[in-house]
Amino acid sequence: MYQPRRSPDDNYVTETSEVQSETELILQKHIPADPEAPVTLQKNQHLQFLARNLVQGFPSRYISQDASQPWLMYWILQSFSVLGVALDPGNKQKAIDTILAWQHPDGGFGGGPGQHPHLLPTYAAVCALAIVGRPGPGGGWDQIDREKMYKFFMSLKQRDGSFLVSHDAEVDVRGIYCLLVVAHLLDLLTPELLEGTPAFIASCQTYEGGFSSASQPYFSAEADGSTVLLDSIRPPLGEAHGGYTFCALATWIMLQPYLKLQEPAVNPPTVDYQRLMRWLVQLQGSDVELGGFRGRTNKLVDGCYSWWVGGCFALLASLGVGGGYGRDAGPGTESQDDGEWDDIDESVWNKLGLQGYILCAAQHPAGGLRDKPPKPADAYHTLYCLVGLSAAQHNVYPSPARSAKVAREWRSLPDYPNETLRKTSFLEALSWSEEEGGSHVLGGTANRVNATHPVFALTMTHTEGIMSHFYKQAIPRRK
Amino acid sequence: MASAQITDNPLLFAERPEWQDVVPLEQYEGVRPLAPIFYTPEYKDATDYFRGIVKSGEKSPRVLDLTENIIRQNPAHYSAWQYRYKTLMALNAPLDEELRLMDELAVKYLKTYQVWHHRRLLVQQTCKPAPELEFIASCLQVDAKNYHTWSYRQWLLAHFNDAALWANELEFVDRMLDADVRNNSAWHHRFFVVFQSGVRQGEEDRNDVVRRELTYVKVKISFAPNNASAWNYLRGVLDISKTPYSAFTSFVTPYCEAEPPQLDDTSTDIMDLDDPLPSQDAQLPCTAAIEFMADIHERLGGDSLRVAIDHWSSLANTHDTSRKKYWEYRIREALSNVH
Repeated sequence: MYQPRRSPDDNYVTETSEVQSETELILQKHIPADPEAPVTLQKNQHLQFLARNLVQGFPSRYISQDASQPWLMYWILQSFSVLGVALDPGNKQKAIDTILAWQHPDGGFGGGPGQHPHLLPTYAAVCALAIVGRPGPGGGWDQIDREKMYKFFMSLKQRDGSFLVSHDAEVDVRGIYCLLVVAHLLDLLTPELLEGTPAFIASCQTYEGGFSSASQPYFSAEADGSTVLLDSIRPPLGEAHGGYTFCALATWIMLQPYLKLQEPAVNPPTVDYQRLMRWLVQLQGSDVELGGFRGRTNKLVDGCYSWWVGGCFALLASLGVGGGYGRDAGPGTESQDDGEWDDIDESVWNKLGLQGYILCAAQHPAGGLRDKPPKPADAYHTLYCLVGLSAAQHNVYPSPARSAKVAREWRSLPDYPNETLRKTSFLEALSWSEEEGGSHVLGGTANRVNATHPVFALTMTHTEGIMSHFYKQAIPRRK
Repeated sequence: MASAQITDNPLLFAERPEWQDVVPLEQYEGVRPLAPIFYTPEYKDATDYFRGIVKSGEKSPRVLDLTENIIRQNPAHYSAWQYRYKTLMALNAPLDEELRLMDELAVKYLKTYQVWHHRRLLVQQTCKPAPELEFIASCLQVDAKNYHTWSYRQWLLAHFNDAALWANELEFVDRMLDADVRNNSAWHHRFFVVFQSGVRQGEEDRNDVVRRELTYVKVKISFAPNNASAWNYLRGVLDISKTPYSAFTSFVTPYCEAEPPQLDDTSTDIMDLDDPLPSQDAQLPCTAAIEFMADIHERLGGDSLRVAIDHWSSLANTHDTSRKKYWEYRIREALSNVH
């Protein structure tokens, strides 16, 4: 049986190398004995796992998630979407009614009915509504109070361009990501919302290349009693971390239309893309770790980083970094069957390796997906392993042809402030397309899952539906 | 007793006479939720009363009992934490006592954001950061890489920016790295302390500081070369000080060999601090060293690009095959930059 090389510890044992070694002993048992034997994504088992949670509910140990009810809903609904399954109308309506119960009278959504509004459950609730909602009474979309939502966002904005996640709560890039996605989906983008935010994001990049949770502002005292934010010293708080990095990078992408509108600045905020790419690539595990991703240097691989880290490469590619760029099909391009090798897959990371980790180590035999064996499955890991699998199977890229097609349908509306910002954000969000012939599915076409929007982590279809409604624009069908 | 376990008073709030005046509120009114959680009776009871209190806006000592009860059952209930904080402020409650309670809770609930953020709010009020360093150090004994713990320490140091707080920080990092040279959180903290917190008294000679750090990391690499944290730190120091990578050619060379150098009888125990050699037990060649060597040559440019490409090829084909696509990308980029 194939025994790949174990990570070298230089015969100098520390806690890190011990834990790493124990983990490798377990992981290597999951390397398929016969490399030619097909590995199967157990879709039905995962659907049953999800359905049990949705319909029967969660056992009492999920009390720890009582302030994350929108997340539970979004993880389940988006997992269904990745697997190509929709809820029946009855459950859809129940979902809508449940989600609306989490909306706070002051704007935004909380983790449960009556809980304080918070950026993270707000993202989860709005994304869940993107999946099950519709226009009109009882449809969820038109019951979102957008004006109060915007006021809620502005009430959280800090002088250094960051946002608190909730009143009296912490600042971190997850909150900024959540806010920006919701602002995109609900047509709430304004320059005043985004001012200072690019500089904050850039300040969270560490010497390793990934991003931390937040940075610390320093202020200098001026003669007139006011204080000024210092550019020169904004240290990142916490080491480079996969989850925060995804949020920071996706936020950076969403800020591009705003940045393009700014007057050229003397010292515009910048992100070091090469340093970031190097760090991302280094996080992929070796063969003995089945090609899964870890979230920080010298820590253990975990299935959820399949999305948080694996999902970053498509974002970088859209900025022109790292190769593997998707191309619009030209005349004479043949679309290939899934499973055929395209020799010209020039992405910088081992996509097939990650698929191997997800299929061989992350699937739980009783249904659902997990961090790593022998841990139990849970709704969070089920989603992020599935969208991670999606990112590894497909090549989703910003398509100029699609953008042009959507732009042709754009109608300026009267009294439409900030049109350039909103239109550009709209077009960029909706240009993401699955490259024809760019998919490679380990184990054959039966393992194929739906493509995922690299920024929003929804399907492209659900993204189009909700944005079309809120921007009041027609969106042309895809082929 | 400062801390009340939920078992101290086994009665539900519904059964306590002193809570009779509060109207508990159901979570969902007129909605049968999808994906419900099956609450324990204790949790449902406490949160029903919490909803009642929030509606009336009460900020009294018994609210402290109630919120403590909830956060012990669900330490991630951020609304209970926020309401508790507002209540403490309204009551002008003794925050030192609250911190002692938090010391106890932190041990059990280290991984939740709220435990740490609540501490941050309290310390911003008490303005007594010094005891926190000891507390944080003890938490790190239990969980040496806890993200919230380390970022809280960094926040504390930066926010108060007090020379006395900073004074022993490098020593603290040294101890953490002695305990585990592969602790990436500790390496990150070191970079923060040395390079990202301004210039403190005694550290004004930045060249000296850089030299010290480069020596430090080279020695750590020599103990255990296959340690990505140390090589990332090395790169970080070189980049921030704009030191050319080529200055490190003689240091890196032995780490690219297949074996550690054989020491002859005349060798002594004195380590060459400029170019500490890999330990006799090191497993070589070290992938990070080959990558570093490739980068040295890429930056030299010209004919040296050939050497860089050879190193990347050896990584792609032999030493780091799982990252083959990345090394091939580096080769392609280098070739395309030539033209």
